[in-house]
Amino acid sequence: MKLVYTDVLVIGGGLAGLRAAIGVKRRGLDTVVLSLVPAKRSHSAAAQGGMQASLANSAMGRGDNEDVHFEDTVKGSDWGCDQQVARMFVHTAPKAVRELAGWGVPWNRVRSGEREAVVNAEKITISESPEAHGLITARDFGGTKKWRTCYTSDGTGHAMLFALGDQSIANGIPVMERKEALALIHEGGRCYGAVVRDLVTGELTSFVARATVIATGGYGRIYKVSTNGIICEGTGMGIALETGVAELGNMEAVQFHPTAIVPAGILTTEGCRGDGGLLRDVDGHRFMPDYEPEKKELASRDVVSRRMTEHMRKGKGVKSPYGDHLWLDITVLGRAHVEKNLREVKDICHYFLGIDPAVDWIPVRPTQHYSMGGIRTRHTGESTTLKGLFACGEAACWDLHGFNRLGGNSVAETVVAGMIVSEFIADFCQSDESEISIPTSLVREFHAREQGRLDELLATKGSERTSDIRRRMEEIMIDKVGIFRTGVELDEAVEELQQLLHRSRNLGLQSSVHGANPELVAAYRLQKMLKVALCVALGARERTESRGAHSREDHPQRDDSNWLKRTLTTWKNENDTLPTIDYEPIDVAGMELPPGFRGYGQANHRNHPDTEARVSEVTAIREQLEGADRFEIQNRLMPYKHLLPERYRERNERLEEPNPSS
Amino acid sequence: MQANARNLIMNETTTRTLTIQILRHNPQDPESEPRFESYQLDEAPGMTLFIALNQIRDEQAPSLQFDFVCRAGICGSCGMLINGRPGLACRTLTSKLGPEITLAPLPVFKLIGDLSVDTGAWARQMGERLETWVHQESEPDIDRLEERMDPDRAEEIYELDRCIECGCCIAACGTARMRKDFVGAAGINKMARFRLDPRDERSDEDFYELVGSDDGVFGCMTLLGCNDVCPKELPLQTQLAFMRRKMASVK
Amino acid sequence: MPASRLPARLDVLQSASGVFLALFMWLHMFFVSSILLGKDAFWHVARFFEGYHIFGKPYPILVSGVALFVFAMFIFHAALAMRKFPADYREYSAFRKHAGEMKHGDTTLWFVQVYTGFAMFFLGSVHLYTMMTRPETIGPYGSADRIVTDWFWPLYLLLLFAVELHGSIGLYRVAVKWGWLEGRNPAATRRNMKRAKWLITVFFLTLGLLSLAAYIKIGIDHRPNYGEHYVPPSIEEPLEPRQ
Ligand SMILES: Cc1cc2nc3c(=O)[nH]c(=O)nc-3n(C[C@H](O)[C@H](O)[C@H](O)COP(=O)(O)OP(=O)(O)OC[C@H]3O[C@@H](n4cnc5c(N)ncnc54)[C@H](O)[C@@H]3O)c2cc1C
Ligand code: HEM
Ligand code: HEM
Ligand code: SF4
Ligand code: F3S
Ligand code: FES
Repeated sequence: MKLVYTDVLVIGGGLAGLRAAIGVKRRGLDTVVLSLVPAKRSHSAAAQGGMQASLANSAMGRGDNEDVHFEDTVKGSDWGCDQQVARMFVHTAPKAVRELAGWGVPWNRVRSGEREAVVNAEKITISESPEAHGLITARDFGGTKKWRTCYTSDGTGHAMLFALGDQSIANGIPVMERKEALALIHEGGRCYGAVVRDLVTGELTSFVARATVIATGGYGRIYKVSTNGIICEGTGMGIALETGVAELGNMEAVQFHPTAIVPAGILTTEGCRGDGGLLRDVDGHRFMPDYEPEKKELASRDVVSRRMTEHMRKGKGVKSPYGDHLWLDITVLGRAHVEKNLREVKDICHYFLGIDPAVDWIPVRPTQHYSMGGIRTRHTGESTTLKGLFACGEAACWDLHGFNRLGGNSVAETVVAGMIVSEFIADFCQSDESEISIPTSLVREFHAREQGRLDELLATKGSERTSDIRRRMEEIMIDKVGIFRTGVELDEAVEELQQLLHRSRNLGLQSSVHGANPELVAAYRLQKMLKVALCVALGARERTESRGAHSREDHPQRDDSNWLKRTLTTWKNENDTLPTIDYEPIDVAGMELPPGFRGYGQANHRNHPDTEARVSEVTAIREQLEGADRFEIQNRLMPYKHLLPERYRERNERLEEPNPSS
Repeated sequence: MQANARNLIMNETTTRTLTIQILRHNPQDPESEPRFESYQLDEAPGMTLFIALNQIRDEQAPSLQFDFVCRAGICGSCGMLINGRPGLACRTLTSKLGPEITLAPLPVFKLIGDLSVDTGAWARQMGERLETWVHQESEPDIDRLEERMDPDRAEEIYELDRCIECGCCIAACGTARMRKDFVGAAGINKMARFRLDPRDERSDEDFYELVGSDDGVFGCMTLLGCNDVCPKELPLQTQLAFMRRKMASVK
Repeated sequence: MPASRLPARLDVLQSASGVFLALFMWLHMFFVSSILLGKDAFWHVARFFEGYHIFGKPYPILVSGVALFVFAMFIFHAALAMRKFPADYREYSAFRKHAGEMKHGDTTLWFVQVYTGFAMFFLGSVHLYTMMTRPETIGPYGSADRIVTDWFWPLYLLLLFAVELHGSIGLYRVAVKWGWLEGRNPAATRRNMKRAKWLITVFFLTLGLLSLAAYIKIGIDHRPNYGEHYVPPSIEEPLEPRQ
């Protein structure tokens, strides 16, 4: 049995995993990062649009600060998020951008003087002040009050990931590629590491660690059409689920992106609409203003996605052999703009559609895009139920996004969570709490169990084909657990997914190679994916309300009185075919921003019994503190600074808010 | 206007049968010999090599190894020789190729199996060797306003920062194929990128230590295969020349 | 200890020597092709280099001197450039396979440069050695006799193709290598330079072939009088007898 000891085992080499590893390394801990692919190829590289942080440098971002970002985030989440976490996040995001700037990310900068921009399909002139010249600029993104999205042309994720990848090299952090975590080693509610398979040799290694971090990204690939990379299969959540102890939160909260190209499902960035791109229907009609007169194309993405689907259902979609679609029109931006600021989009259109988006409209439709759900953690990033297990990034339900995340908030979350969580991990590892005296027999047991499973898969010649089951699962998810959901369809989905899980216990593989074997890989991932899919489907079926991205046609109302709570799923028993569901209430009484109207569509929600009281409390505090500075008011409403690691507590400097101590 | 896009999707109805020759070899298996194997499949509209290869694996060759991650031309995983030339398979439409397609793994890199090669190890080793990160005496204070940077400069840096480490430029370089230790265009481009970055405090003398040798910029024989295959269309020709001038003028 | 600056210097010298040789060859071809303007023209060119027009009488040793210098550059350049040759058969076959698969213009051109350079090492040396040791034979009849009766024409034919391909490819490569004349659109500049490169090759090849034909014609006619020297009609006194 191969055995490796380290302080911190980081599973996942995307933005979240790398930042976390750098954080613990800088605190003097040993760490190892595992990744299915070379770290810089992780799906984070695909984020084009940008990262939100309230720097308020650009003219259109003036007046922005943590408070505004916070409000946008909470509203975006449809009050499903943890407001304290949201506060920690908006406070740390500017630091994250600045840190990355120091590490070499070539953020686009403010250029003083006047320039033309297209906003809501109208040309406007923006005048940048000379004092902001050369500071990091921001662009518009769906669902935000201010222009807050920092970017590097349209390769933000790439630039960030490469900066972190290079930093991890600079810090001498071993990043082991083509390694897949198969199972977590745990006992008595304490996680001790993971059993890991080498995807080239097929060999298993057990990693024993004081702290284990899951930063494995999202589960988009349980859906048939997804913008996610093909490695985003949710196996990280799968292994957490299979402990039977760790909880997954809000798995039914799945976001769809309005504008992925048809048929390839590749995303065209939100920047297209942010910069002034329009959505048109089969008649060339710009339809979003009909539904959302105020925000139009820039309403939050779940709203736009749903409006598009609604519009296509009215027969206004463009027919194609790949199903209906609509048009994204960025021709209005002009060739120069497209070629300079939206070059990746231009490339994608050229290579995958054979069209030129400066003159042609792009065929698009809503496509699975982001998983809000994940491993449920405290604000420290530690699993609520499995000690020593941490999670961050898209794999976690920290819970910043609630039922809908804002564009640009997720790459921001990855690095911010990496920063914050790594400090807590380091604290944990440097405390007595983390002492581990784990018998080798336990490791051996897990190791042997995983080896046994693989051997069995290769040996038994069952009658089922992995690809058939997988394909069916993907179809069920998109057809029945998609943008619009109904109780009837969800019942069917849960039912059929259970059958698939049954069938998946009887797989037959053609090859029996232990080493590099793509067929084997697909086979052993299948059950994990099905379990994750069942968490999504069951959570969605039970949640008889509409909130954020979770949209029930049979329950269109947001129902705070019954559903202001987080769904928690666990997989208690290996032989179960359904997860066990629990709920965690969201405390209205402690909210800085009590539930209200989100600001788009019709106000349609049922209040929580505590809402009214909290609203008047908040109003009273605000009145009482009138004239006080915003930090003081905030602190009275909902203190959060004490939750942050000490090194990240200081205020952020802005042009309009000079740092008092400078 | 709309017609274009619509036509593209609707009218690609002529179905060809594609014959795809794949150079297969599993170095893990002592029995395995490198050999071409031929697969046939019906072309579908909008088919890319990503789709085609997955279909082959699903239906004909379950053990076929290849690498895709983003399948959108962003991550650099899927470099391979497509009819002899390095390119990204995921964004190659089969309709742009003839009915007979030859696929082989990228040369130079360590073969993992079939079409999969270890570009990751190469990239890591390049990063370590060239120290591809911003070298700064002290890190900036993240609670304060960030250092200013000229907006044009930021864009110029990004232009070079776009390298996805796909390895195509290395596989396309005759020098790299002859000489294992040659840093290649990707490496030299990275040096140019950090040289341009005002945050990096390294001097030309420092950069000379990294690439001022016959394994570095002076090893390049200006074959320009790199420049002509780079899927990100990085200005490699210009950057190689630029770094050569700068390094040649180091005292 | 800082890294050696030698590779940098050598790279510059390789290019500089190549450029010197290439430009020298342009002039050389113009001089040699003066035969197309008639025997007198070439006679004057030949004598010019022997200082005849300055000193009133020819000093062939001057040509030997120039030839020696060029020979030195030639060897120097070759020595530097040969560092780039495939070091062994493994490297050679790797490159060959690569060029075959890639079907890429500039890669193939490099192969052409290696082959022609290799060929010139022998062909050019013979020629230069002759020019260095027998400068006084240069002249309308002397050169033509060498070409025809002494059987130099096959050597010159090969050398001509070699040098014209090698030189213009070399100049093109030096320009892109150091980023000369890149302008705003390097890709377009490169396309134009490549076009210019081919034009130059074709021009000098044509010039060379025509000249060679002219020498051959003279040589054939002059075969019976092999060894006799040409004296332009305008020259009254015969020059000092040679040999
Ligand atoms: C097309 C697209 C565009 C986007 N654009 C934006 C944007 O503009 N702004 C924004 O804020 N967000 C955007 N997002 C979302 C954002 O990119 C992701 O949420 C974020 O990058 C996730 O980062 P991560 O580090 O959590 O995971 P990832 O980057 O997905 O990394 C996961 C890592 O885990 C590894 N891994 C997975 N499973 C295992 C296992 N079992 N064992 C070992 N390793 C494993 C993988 O190899 C990988 O290294 C976009 C997403 C997509 C799909
Ligand atoms: C013995 C004879 C010669 C040999 C072996 C030789 C060989 C070579 C080789 C191999 C190169 C390519 C170098 C590289 O890619 O880095 C080269 C470059 C070049 N050669 Fe020659 N050559 C010879 C003679 C000549 C002559 C006679 C000329 C002039 C016409 C010439 C002009 C050039 C030029 C301009 C270059 C480009 C220089 C550079 O890239 O730095 N060479 N030579
Ligand atoms: C100082 C040096 C040189 C001198 C004085 C010189 C002189 C001459 C002369 C006089 C001729 C005419 C034929 C003859 O008399 O044999 C000739 C022809 C030729 N030389 Fe040179 N040469 C020199 C260097 C070179 C070099 C370096 C090369 C190439 C490597 C070269 C290539 C040729 C060729 C190809 C021809 C034949 C031209 C034709 O097609 O007519 N020469 N040279
Ligand atoms: S320079 Fe271009 S070809 Fe080379 S690794 Fe980078 S992106 Fe790929
Ligand atoms: S192909 Fe190779 S030789 Fe130089 S110009 Fe490119 S690195
Ligand atoms: S799969 Fe990412 S570039 Fe091809």
